[in-house]
Amino acid sequence: MTGYVPPEFSVEIAEEQTRCTVRVAGELDYDTSDELVETVVVLLRHRPRTSAVRLDFSGLTWIDSSGLSALLMIRRTTSAIGAVLCLDNRPGFLDQRLRLTDILDHLTGPAMSAAPHGLGEEDDTTRAGVT
Amino acid sequence: MNQLARVAPFRERLWEAVVAGDEYAAVAAVQDALADGIGEEAVLLEVVAPVQETIGTDWAANRISVAREHAATAINERVVAALALRPRPDGVQRAARGRVTVGCVDGEWHSFPARLVAEVLRLRGWQVDYLGAQTPTPHLIAHLHHTDPQAVLLSSSLPTRLPAAHMAITACQAVGVPVLAGGRAFGANGRYARALGADGWAPDARGVGDVLAGGLPRPTPAAVRQAADDLPHLADQEYTLVIHSKGPLVKQTLTDLEDRFPAARSYTDVQRERTAEDVAHLVDFLACALYVDDAEVFTAFLAWTADILEARGVPARSLSAGLDLLARQLHDFPRALNILNEGVHALDARPSTPTADHETTA
Amino acid sequence: MVGRAPGVPLLVCAFRGSPASPRNAAAHVGAVWSEAPCPVLVVDRHGALVQLNRAARSLLPRACGGVRLADIAPSWLSDAHRHMAAGEPGVSPGPLTGSIDERHFEAYPSPSAEGGVVWWLVDGTDRHRAEEALHSAQERSSVLAEASSRLLATLNVPRCMEVTAAMAAEHLAEAAVLVAPPHGRRHTLTYAHRGGPVSQVTRKIDPRGVAGLSEALQGYPPVPARWINPDDIPDWLIPEGFTEPVGSVIIAPLPGHGVPAGALVLLRSSTRKCFSDGEEAFARLFAARAGAALSAARLYTEQAAITATLMRELLPPVLERVHGVEYAAGYRPAKDHERVGGDFYDFHPGADPTQETLVVLGDVAGKGLDAAVLTGKIRNTLHALLPLAADHQQVLSLLNGALLTSHHARFATLVLASVSRRGGWVQARLTSAGHMPPLIVRNSGEVEEAATRGTLVGALPEVSACTVETTLAPGETCLLYTDGITEARGGPLGDEFFGEDRLRRALAECVGMPAEAVVERVQMLAAQWLGGGRHDDMAVLAISAPKTGPLSVVGGEVRHAHNRRSR
Repeated sequence: MTGYVPPEFSVEIAEEQTRCTVRVAGELDYDTSDELVETVVVLLRHRPRTSAVRLDFSGLTWIDSSGLSALLMIRRTTSAIGAVLCLDNRPGFLDQRLRLTDILDHLTGPAMSAAPHGLGEEDDTTRAGVT
Repeated sequence: MNQLARVAPFRERLWEAVVAGDEYAAVAAVQDALADGIGEEAVLLEVVAPVQETIGTDWAANRISVAREHAATAINERVVAALALRPRPDGVQRAARGRVTVGCVDGEWHSFPARLVAEVLRLRGWQVDYLGAQTPTPHLIAHLHHTDPQAVLLSSSLPTRLPAAHMAITACQAVGVPVLAGGRAFGANGRYARALGADGWAPDARGVGDVLAGGLPRPTPAAVRQAADDLPHLADQEYTLVIHSKGPLVKQTLTDLEDRFPAARSYTDVQRERTAEDVAHLVDFLACALYVDDAEVFTAFLAWTADILEARGVPARSLSAGLDLLARQLHDFPRALNILNEGVHALDARPSTPTADHETTA
Repeated sequence: MVGRAPGVPLLVCAFRGSPASPRNAAAHVGAVWSEAPCPVLVVDRHGALVQLNRAARSLLPRACGGVRLADIAPSWLSDAHRHMAAGEPGVSPGPLTGSIDERHFEAYPSPSAEGGVVWWLVDGTDRHRAEEALHSAQERSSVLAEASSRLLATLNVPRCMEVTAAMAAEHLAEAAVLVAPPHGRRHTLTYAHRGGPVSQVTRKIDPRGVAGLSEALQGYPPVPARWINPDDIPDWLIPEGFTEPVGSVIIAPLPGHGVPAGALVLLRSSTRKCFSDGEEAFARLFAARAGAALSAARLYTEQAAITATLMRELLPPVLERVHGVEYAAGYRPAKDHERVGGDFYDFHPGADPTQETLVVLGDVAGKGLDAAVLTGKIRNTLHALLPLAADHQQVLSLLNGALLTSHHARFATLVLASVSRRGGWVQARLTSAGHMPPLIVRNSGEVEEAATRGTLVGALPEVSACTVETTLAPGETCLLYTDGITEARGGPLGDEFFGEDRLRRALAECVGMPAEAVVERVQMLAAQWLGGGRHDDMAVLAISAPKTGPLSVVGGEVRHAHNRRSR
């Protein structure tokens, strides 16, 4: 009844030569996380030579567990093509959540396969980078 | 020896056990009452229920903490459960009278009265499905489709749940099940139960038993309606607009309060939040009064709140300030202004109780 | 019906549009009426026929001058004449109507000489039939509309059958019996008798004994009513209170969604007229509506039963006091119309008081049934891993491996608590796997956060976690909760999170409270904070060291039995 209206969710892409930046604004949650994953998956399908994906969270207002789930999915996608993932301009609540769930190192670590062993994803450590 | 004198010692024992948080002593008090020949229904309604009532009034009067209140209620719940699980004499035919559903309106946490009603009806031979506190209306309706009871007993203590109760009542009737409303929210003599189109109302557990025994006819298809059909005044949108702008209304009132009482600016966060909650309650009850179009809901809340505040050493006149500030924001809402005005009169009519701390507002 | 207010001159109606008014042209009446196309009779005040025109003669062949009207015309007309001649007012206020030789007439009187009356008979047969047809069509469509609204209101199968039988007895027949399709060899029979109560029994019957019934139950075309011999109707098909002999019967199939929804048997006693073809057709129309509603109710009931069965495994368990430790929990799914969601808790009491009880509370990313299915998998896996519960890290590693899949990154965060009683105190080993650490309410009023941290499970190849041990003194509580509580958005201003600080403040007031009171308090505060707002799944679980009672008796069997009984 009392109307809390969440800010508009948006995803903006900026492409450079081998890097791209995805600006995420609004609430990354159950209702919006699919959109982000979809955007990044489609982007990387068309740019298989991308070496780094930056997620810019300066406009992020909230993230829930579905949002974290989306970040883990994106990490799998970037790993699959050997790109590094950077999480830039993280608001406090995002950092807190990443620390609580203990996945920050995994998300931003070297671009090795994040997929479970034996599930058919090739390890690709050749272009591993540090963020 | 009259009944009151008979039950009084057990009541006293139960009260002491409940306040001490001693479940075993509490159950023992009730079992001894039964052993003394006091009937189960009388134990529930004349020993357990008055003790629960006292818990509430003692909290309101600041004699026990909110934690104590919860703890005591939990013990009382266990006492009722212990009674319910007692083995029955073989001769008592259970569930011979048909099936009924007992539940609390969505958002209603005070389930104890409904629990007592459920147990009394079981004792009287009804098959009772007790759905507990805050039953979401979709669950309630699914349950009705599943069991097709003869009636739904809808309990609510908080008047602010009346709009939710209305939705539940019309939904139950739309699936052909009559609704018997009960609990303080529905007002003295059940005036709001009637306003919301309930098929019946009862003042207490025994009354519920009597109404059910008399039979409630099923609502006809003609009873299917929208809320606004019962309450045509809702068309003026005052209720809707006040509910929708609750957040901004509260914010503005807080800002204005700080302008008016500079001391309020030095409040701690907790104090500020308490004040915000009090203002939010004012808005909730104002909205509720707009919903049923009856200032009584609002004035009764004010009187009760004033007592609570004064019991905690807070002057009740801070409420008047809140009313005034709300009225300034709601100048385009004639019904709301009228209700706020009635509120001011109700507060003025109270005997004034001097309190030392004049700097604290609500 | 065309009505007429009493006192309005009849002639105005009778001669609307006709060129001559008989009242004004009384002198020439003979010339006018003899050529009139409608039958006209001139009757004297004693009731004898004076004159009649050609049309009247062909209508009443036995009529001729001097004959008494009562001898050649139906009583409705001769009685009316007698009243008229005696100067009495008409009995009924409407136009005088009646039938002669299966035709329907309206009779309009006009005074004639010496107290006689000229009767103008207007043939209204076609209009009368049209009106009757219209009236019964209106009645039928209102019955169908009522049937639809009453039947659609309920999704309860027995109720639907009751409404169908009661309405059929009220509007289509004197009594009705709804025979439901068999459950095994038993059929549910719903009996209704007009004006009587509706009753329902389930019994073994043989529908083949009744012509048309087994066909209707198998979905074959209906057997016409005239083929059914009322004497063949067995006693079990006759409602109690229907004492007269059965005169006519309709057996209408209730068409369902591809399979028959039952059969409707309509009965009339031998003193009433038989069902007409029109009534039979209407009965089938009614049965079609009832069949559709009944099938929808049956479909809903079956789906609800399937859902309930599947959901039973996913519903949170009921917690209780075990081995001298109080446990309580509460759960509210994000979508209020669902009963399950992404939050979960489970409870595995130790085999005896010396064994630890394992409690888990957690949160799967996502909402609704998808998330709930994953919580089921987690709970089952943890159940299987119970023998390893002494080592939480190992349990979490194995659980993590079991949950990993390439399809999604739907992970879970959870807290494991292994609890046992040692003397008057409660010991707990607590491990968080990416979840909010438990809060411990001390008797001093302090609220501590358990210092356990770990990786969420189900998304990364490896996980790690650290376990902490804590002790609860009598009256102290350890609270496990999901972020649905702290992230409840609302409050007096409408847009704030409930947050951990408010939760801690609320818990500080909960010192010494029984576990279920703590759970109730936290749930209530969060719900009130939300107001009517949208929320995530919310779960709370409290582990308390009881303050009083037989708690010094560790695991006393007698006391334990008492505890269970008193809950």
